Formats: sequence, structure tokens, C-alpha cells
Amino acid sequence: MDVASFSAQLDELRARAVSAIDGADSPEALDAIESGMLGRKGELRGVLGGIGALSAEDRPKVGALANPVRGSIEAALADRRVSLEAEALDARLRTGAQDVTLPGRRRARGSLHPLVETEREIARIFGRFGFVVVDSPEVESDELNFGALNIPADHPACDLWDTIYVEEPAGTERDDRLLLRTHTSPGQIRAMRDRRPPIRVLTPGRCYRYEAVDASHSFEFFQIEGLMVDEGTTMAHLRGLLDAFAHAMFGADRATRFRPGYYPFTEPSVAFDIGCVVCEGEGCPACKRTGWMTILGAGMVHPVVLRNGGIDPEHYQGFAFGMGTDRIAMLRYAITDIRAFLANDMRFLERL
Amino acid sequence: MRVPLSWLREFVDIELTPEQLAERLTLLGMEVSAIEHIGADWQRIVVGELLEVLPHPNSRKLSLTRVRTGASEPELSIVCGATNIEVGQRIPVALPGSVLPGDRHIDITTIAGTQSQGMLCSGDELGLTSDADGILILPADAQLGVDMADMAGDVVLDIDVKPNRGDALSILGLAREVAAATGATLRWPDLSVVEAGDATSDHLRVDVEDPDLCPVFVGRYVDAITLGPSPWDVQRRLIAAGVRPISNVVDASNYVLLELGKPIHTFDADAVREGHIIVRRARDGERLETLDHVGRELTTDTLLISDAAGPLAIAGVMGGAASEVGDATTSVIIESAIFDPVSVRRTAFRYALRSEASLRFEKGQEHRMARLGADRTAALIGAWAGGRVAVGVVDTAPDAPQAVRIAFRPARTSQLLGQTLGIDEQRALLERVQIRTERARAGEMITVIAGDDPLRVAVNELVDALVAIVPGHRRDLSIESDLIEEIARVRGYETLPGRLPDTAMPPYLADPQRPLDELRAQLAGAGLNEIVSHGLIGPEDHARLGLGPDDEQTVRTTNPVTVDHSELRRSMIPEHLRVLLENERQRTPDVRAFEIGALHAWHDGEPAERLVLGLMLAGRENPLTYDRVATPADMATAKGLLEQLAARQLRCRLEYEPVSARDGVEHPGRIAAVVAVAPEGERTSLGRVGELHPILLRHYQVRAEHVVFAEIDLDAYRRLIPGRVRVGRLEHLPGVERDIAVVVAADQPVGELEALIHAHGGSHLRAVTLFDEYRGSPLGDDEKSVAFRLRYETLDHDLDDGMVELMVERVVAVLSERLGARLRA
Repeated sequence: MDVASFSAQLDELRARAVSAIDGADSPEALDAIESGMLGRKGELRGVLGGIGALSAEDRPKVGALANPVRGSIEAALADRRVSLEAEALDARLRTGAQDVTLPGRRRARGSLHPLVETEREIARIFGRFGFVVVDSPEVESDELNFGALNIPADHPACDLWDTIYVEEPAGTERDDRLLLRTHTSPGQIRAMRDRRPPIRVLTPGRCYRYEAVDASHSFEFFQIEGLMVDEGTTMAHLRGLLDAFAHAMFGADRATRFRPGYYPFTEPSVAFDIGCVVCEGEGCPACKRTGWMTILGAGMVHPVVLRNGGIDPEHYQGFAFGMGTDRIAMLRYAITDIRAFLANDMRFLERL
Repeated sequence: MRVPLSWLREFVDIELTPEQLAERLTLLGMEVSAIEHIGADWQRIVVGELLEVLPHPNSRKLSLTRVRTGASEPELSIVCGATNIEVGQRIPVALPGSVLPGDRHIDITTIAGTQSQGMLCSGDELGLTSDADGILILPADAQLGVDMADMAGDVVLDIDVKPNRGDALSILGLAREVAAATGATLRWPDLSVVEAGDATSDHLRVDVEDPDLCPVFVGRYVDAITLGPSPWDVQRRLIAAGVRPISNVVDASNYVLLELGKPIHTFDADAVREGHIIVRRARDGERLETLDHVGRELTTDTLLISDAAGPLAIAGVMGGAASEVGDATTSVIIESAIFDPVSVRRTAFRYALRSEASLRFEKGQEHRMARLGADRTAALIGAWAGGRVAVGVVDTAPDAPQAVRIAFRPARTSQLLGQTLGIDEQRALLERVQIRTERARAGEMITVIAGDDPLRVAVNELVDALVAIVPGHRRDLSIESDLIEEIARVRGYETLPGRLPDTAMPPYLADPQRPLDELRAQLAGAGLNEIVSHGLIGPEDHARLGLGPDDEQTVRTTNPVTVDHSELRRSMIPEHLRVLLENERQRTPDVRAFEIGALHAWHDGEPAERLVLGLMLAGRENPLTYDRVATPADMATAKGLLEQLAARQLRCRLEYEPVSARDGVEHPGRIAAVVAVAPEGERTSLGRVGELHPILLRHYQVRAEHVVFAEIDLDAYRRLIPGRVRVGRLEHLPGVERDIAVVVAADQPVGELEALIHAHGGSHLRAVTLFDEYRGSPLGDDEKSVAFRLRYETLDHDLDDGMVELMVERVVAVLSERLGARLRA
């Protein structure tokens, strides 16, 4: 044996190993090739086992020839392993392909009620101007619902509020008659009695009136009342604030106007109109062809109402405003029938 | 109030279009709610004459008429169904090719086999009156062929007069407002009376026994009357104003009611015994048959117009049938009185007889109108019915009261409006509504608040004040701010510039609704729909909840709109089931809903209001999807939602305690009390969660077999929301988890196990999660296995396994000792 024949054996071995590696189709096959070729009992060792027959001078030469062979077989193994892994991943991903056009797994949509959302939006807008929500009860005394608000019994103004009264339990006697509040205005009196000026409060809530139900009336409806009292609170402030509200709720370029109104608890009293949200002022059935829609009533708090709230009308003045939450919500969401609010049709709710 | 422009123009010149006028009036506070153009939607409707009225050959209900609409016009053959027609009458004829209101086209047609060349029109068909039964009969002198629009056309403003402005409930009163709006001059009607014959006092004597309730009564007497229809111009005005013409005498009083706003009553003079009228309260047991032919028992606080024989009329409300003006009437007594507003209002309500007349009395009347109304009515009856008006009047209070003086501070106007208005301008503005002003004298009082407990401020050298001399018709003005409103209104609110509030801000207060916003957002995010249902429910609803008619806590109403909504709800369940039912009917049976609202009950004789969260789940827990089985919503779904809320907002965990079910309301085996447990162990009862009883579901005809419901007391809930949450140092060391599975009796409530684990798990126990519940082999039939994962976390040091083992062992020992649990191998 000479160096040349060792060299030929090694070359042959390398060629065979590389070819086997190229043909291997699994990591296990590569493992077998690795141990068959390079292992302790592998072919490379076998070839080198015959090295003893060489001269001491030639042995290192063969050793030098063998190292690159081992190296290139190892490299071929590593390359093939990487490419096999990539192929396996590709194959796995290929079989894992999905119909990407499938819809998502549906979750229930959920919704917030338009009346409550509108009430909260109104409160948020006025909240920016320092108004805070205070609670006020639904069962109210006739004194707070009417008398303290300057609405005497047997006064024609009472026609504005058809009232549902509360049956008093047998055996009880009280000075005031109880009723279901016909408006949130008694909240004004409560707010004034509970605090000192400067006052800026909102009293939202459910109200009741003896009314037949149709597309724009209900015996249960929702209002939100605002009250501001201080030394220098003026009607100009009322106008400025309501303009800001109308712009926030119905758009920055919404036209607004004040016109005279009548409420026993304010003097002067006004109605606040906005440009029709349906026809934008052109004139349509919704605004009775006037181009205007009334969204709330307001005015400067009547001196007697201030005094009934424990506030000196010679030192303080204030304004109050009240609006139908239902009406604002109807305009805001283009809802045409007030009955939809309490019907709670899920299809209606999920449109909001 | 319906105001024909033709009538209004009699008292004031109007150069504006109806639309412009409507806007001006609206901006002055006389809101025009509609403008009606009578006749604008008529085409080819003319006056015709009936030449022949024959029975229809083929129908007993129809007539065959021959009609002429002009000398040179062809005669028309028209079929008509009305029964009030006679030969010679003038009637409105819709010619072939004509158009009626509602875009109704009339052409030549065949009715019951006969050709009809047009139509005879009723008032209803023309949109003039509500009379649909008979043909509108026109005056005999109506000119043939004249367009009906010329006969009856007008423009009518429908004006919403505010309750405080009774003075504007008349054509004259509104003409006054038009004058104020446009600067035109008001023209009064001719109020002169031609008198002849006897003195009124020869035929009429009036005694007012109750001057408080009848401060003035003016009477007149008219005889030689020929009852008949009023002139057409009068009739068409009344029709346009919405009043049906009846006869010249009755029309005269209605005319004055509308024109001057003065209610007038006319009695057949022959029915008033000895011409002696007594104004008094009714006596016990007295009865009166009113004009509507209803016999009425009179209560003793009812003010009557009576004679010696008994009641003639309920003062200010309705006349009596016996003294009604009718075909045989030849002489009348005219009553033009003023009655106490409150008394008339109460009486009208008591007898359910509110009318145009009582409405005006209720709002108060100007004193001089008593005399003017009597004169005007007498003059009109004289003119239209050929009557002879007796000389003079009977007047129980001829002296007019002094004009009302209201002192006010012009500076206050500017102060209240937030806009500086000079004194001269304020005076000029008041002048436009006929309010004269002069300088206030020192010592004169400014009324800030009127009434029984007035607030008055004396005028002195420091207070610059004016006095307004208020005309008698403006009974709505009594205090300083009334005049400020008058100034602002006449000036026009469009001239008031807006300004954002720039005064001191009140101290900060938290919005009490904010936590509820969070709760709502959370539930909506979990897929629930927020609902708002009725606060008033029916007695039957309450009875189904075991709260029958005898229940003393239910808040009931005395005059509900309907019995189904007559009691304030004590639970949200009935309304929510109704919502479910309606949605099931709309084929949306999956209803996941919640509501925040009040429940009411009597509590120690006072009405108490509780804020509650109601939650209802019916149908599937989640929407239908393609790769999961749709699971029905159950109690665990509801509990999970509540636990999420409690964890997020309250930082509490929830425990459930078995409670006895309300009979027929809740599922006896599926109802629990919800208890919030704070980290410190404090327990708060929050409400109930469970399934509703199938019987209740059946009552509401709900199809769902299982409906889960929770009612949570939000007042208690809100109190648990921590004011400040302390996060502290974060636990950055890894947690340690241990699973334990124990075997317990099959009927052992798991909640008790969990509570014990929490109580004895040690201070580092962070979370307990039930992750398995198992029954079956190899366990005995009366056993079950439950498995919990315990998570331990600590801040300061690594938990060593030995320590955790000890803690878990202690838990197992407690479970075994208390509940006989054994560790599952």
C-alpha cells in the first residue's frame, strides 16, 4: 500500500458518502450515514486502520489527506440536514394551509342603548363646562314637582303636565301628595337646597306623564335638566352654553336660535331651536317646513324658584334648561318612532 | 288657535307673506305651528244650484240630481249619496276634471249604472269642516259658477298661545301682537250699539250672590229676533277658525268669543223666569240638564246662573238645555260675565266639560271685556238676526279697576340678560306692547316675588327705577322679571349675543355615573345588549312574582294610562321577559341583555328607590359559528360576567350561597345569593343570580326553556368600588402553582370548598381556580372529585417548595376535617 492508494480510497469514500448524503431523505438516514462513514466503526476508521502498513514518514501524509475528507462529509451532512429540515417545514406548512377566506369566529356584538348613550353624551358635553350629574328621585312630591317650581294647583299652566299620581298606602297620612315626576325640574330645587352657589348641575332621568302613546309620545320618557346659579349668570351665558351644546351634539355649523317660550319656573323663558337636522333648513315635514326644530326649553330661574331653593334672588341669578333625551336621541340617530326605545328589539339595538 | 288671516286683517294691516308673518309671530312668542291655505288644493270647484233631486233608479241610498253652474254652462247630472239636499239649494260642485284635497281627482264616472258628471261636495271633502254626512249648503244668494276658493278660501295660521297669554286667545289679541311685531296700528272693531225700544232693566234683573266668583256680570236684552243662518262671510270665517256655524244668534256669541276672546252666553229670554238672573252656588241636590242633554247632579261649589225656578247654566262652563236658543226664540238675554278662573277650571274638570269658553275664563279676563262683549254681541245679533237691542245694560260692576303699576329696575334687565340696554330703549320696547312707563317715585315698591309671601324692594335714591303702567289685558305681568322678559321678547332674542359661562366654577364633584359607564362598557364588550324597559308594570306582573294586590310595599298609581303600566316595578324580570318574548317573535331568540334602572317600594311609609343592574341571558351563549358547538347560556355564564365585573371594578371575588327560590319565579335548584368578598374578607350581599322558573316563562309565553337572570343592587355595588387602588410593588418573582384534587360527597357545594381554601390557604395564596369536576368510576355513586389549581405568589422572597407543600397540606387537612374530603391519588 502506498499513499496514492490511500488517497484513492479516501476519494472514493468521499464520493460515495456525498452521494449517499444527497440521496438521504430523512434525518434518520443521515444519522445512519454519519455513523456508517464517520462513526467509531465507520468506514473512514476502516480505511485509516490500514495506515500501519505505511512508513512513519507517509502516515502523516495520509492523515492530512483524511481530515479534509471528514470535513467535507460533515459539511455535506450539515447542509443536507438543513435542507431536509426546510423541506420538512415546507411540507408541514403546505398541509397546514387553511381557507383564508373563512370568516372569524363570531363573538356577540354587544351594544349600548341609544337613550343612555345620549344621556351620557349630553352629560359629557356639559361636563366640559363644569356641570355635574346629581340624582333625583322618580317619585316626587307635588310640592317639588309643581308648587316649588311656581306652578300653583288649579293654574292653567298645569295643562302642560298631565300627571300620574301615586296611591298612598292605607293608613299613612302626609301633607304632600306624591306623584311620578312629570319632568326632571324638581331636581333644580333639590340641587339648590343641597348646595351653595356657584351651582352647575344636571339631573337626568325617567319621567312620566299621563299621555297616549304614539310615534312621538310615551307615558314614560327621559329628560335631562341643567341648572346654573351664580352672582353673574346671565341669559347671554345660557345662549353661549346652549350654542356650544348644539354644536357639539349636532355639528359645528349647526344654526341655532332663541325664541320666546313659556315655563312658570323661568322668567324670561325661551325655546331653543336648531336648524332642521333632516332638511338642513330647507323646510320639510319634520320641521313643519320652518327649517327649525325645537330641542329644549330654558330660561332664567324665576325669583320665587330661587327662593324656594333657599337662594336669595336679589343676590343670585341663574338659568335652567331641560330637554327630552328621547328627542335628542331621535334626532341624533334619525330614529322616527319613540316607541323603539322601550321596545328593545335586538336588531334595533345592534344597529347603534 | 286657528286664525284666518282675512279676519286678522280687519284689525291690523299686514304686508308680510303668511310665512314671514308666521316667523315674526313665532319669534315674538306666538308660535305658529302650521299654516293652512284653505282652497289652495281645490281645482274646478264652483257654486252650483240644484235643479232637480230624484231618487236614483238603481239605489235607494242615492239621489240623482241635475245641477246648473251658470246660465251658459251645460247642466250636469250628478249622483249624490247625501240626504240633506233639496231643489233650489246652492252647493259646491266638483266639475269633471276637478281636484279635491288629498289630490283626489273627480271625473265623469258611472255610479250604480248611472253616469255622474262630477260631485257635490261636503265640508269634509273640501277639508273645510269635519261634516262628512251632508253636502255643504251655501247661501241662497251665492253666485253661480263662482270658484269655491273665492267663496271660502283663506289662509289660516294655527297659533300655539302659551297658557299665560289668555289675552292672545283672540283675533284682536293676536292682531295686537302682530302690531307689536310689525309696528302697524291696531284697529278696534266697531263697538257701537244701536239701541231701541224698552230699557234693558225692564226685561232683566241680575243679582250676584257670590261676587268673589263672579266679579262682574253685564247683561243685555234683544228682542224681535228672526233666527236663521248668519251671513256667509260670517259663516266662512267661523268655518276657517274651526267653529261650526249654527244660527245667527249662536254664531254671534261664538264670533265674539273668537274675535274678542270674551265668552258670551245667550239665553232664550222666555226661559228666564221674570227676567231675573241670580248668580249663586248650587244647592244640595240640584240638577241641570246641560246643552249636551246630559242630566247633571250639581255639587255645592258649582257656580250657577239661575232664575227663581232653578239652575239655567253652569257659569262659564255650559248652558242648560231648557234655556237654549232655538228655532222658536224671539228674544234673548246676553250674558257677558267674568268668573273666577280657578272656580271655572275646577268646575270644568269636575264635569269633564272643558270648552273654548271655560279655557278663556280659566286664564282670566280683562274687566272691560264684560261690557264690550255684551255690546258687540248685541250689535251683531241686531245686524244678523234683525233684533232690537234694548236701551242700556245691566252691569254689576261698571267701574274698571285701577291700572296695575309694576316698578322695575332697568339695570336689572341688563344684568339678567347679560347685555346692556339703555333706559330709553327699554321704555320704547315696552311702548310697542302698549305698556307706558314713568319714573318711579321714592318709596314705591319693586315686586321681585308676588303672591302670598312677596319679596319687595323699596325704590330709593340709590335705585334707578321705572314704573310700567300695564294695560288691563296683560294679566300675566306682575313682577319685575315679567317686564324684563317683555323687553327681551319684543327686542327679539336673536339680538342677544351668546357667551360661554365665565363665572366662578363650582368645586369639583365626581360624576356618580362614571362607574356605571365602565360597567356598561364592560357588559357590552362581553356581547350583551343594553336595554331600557318600562318602569311601570302591571299588577299581574307583580302577582306572578308573588307580590299580589295585598302586598303593601308595591308603589301603585291612582290614574294609570293603562292597568298594564300602573305599578312601579319591584323587579326587572317581567319587563325583561317581555323583551325576550318580543325578540323571540322577531326570530332573534338569543337575547343577552342588561339594564340599569330603578326599582321602587314603600319603605317606612316613604317611597324608596333602588338602582339595580338586571341581566338576562336566553338562548345561546355565543353567536352561531362554524367550528364550535353553540352552548346555551347558563347560570355559569351569568356568574362569569358578574365575576369579571367584580374583579375589575370592585377588586372583589364573588361567592354564591344557596337560597330558597321564590315560588314559581326562580328555579328551585338554580338560584343563589351573590356575595362579594373583599380581599380583607369583608362580605357584602349584592343580589341574586339564577334561572327563572319554567312556570314564569310559560306565563310570559316565552319559548326559551332556560332563562338566566341576575339582579344586582347597584347602590351596594357602587359602595364597594375602592376610592383608591394600591398596586404597590409588583411581584416579579415567579409564582408557584399546585393542583389538588379531592373526593367529597356528591352533594357537597363546591363554593364551600373554595371558601375554605381561601380562608386557610395562607397569605400568599393569590388565586384559586376550579378546573375539574368529575363523577363516575372509580368513585362511588355518592362521591365526586373536584380539582383546584392554587397559585401562590409572594413579593419578597422565592417560595420554596417545602413551604408551599406545607400550605397546601394545611388546606387539604382543613378540607378533610371540615368536609370529609380525601385527597385523590
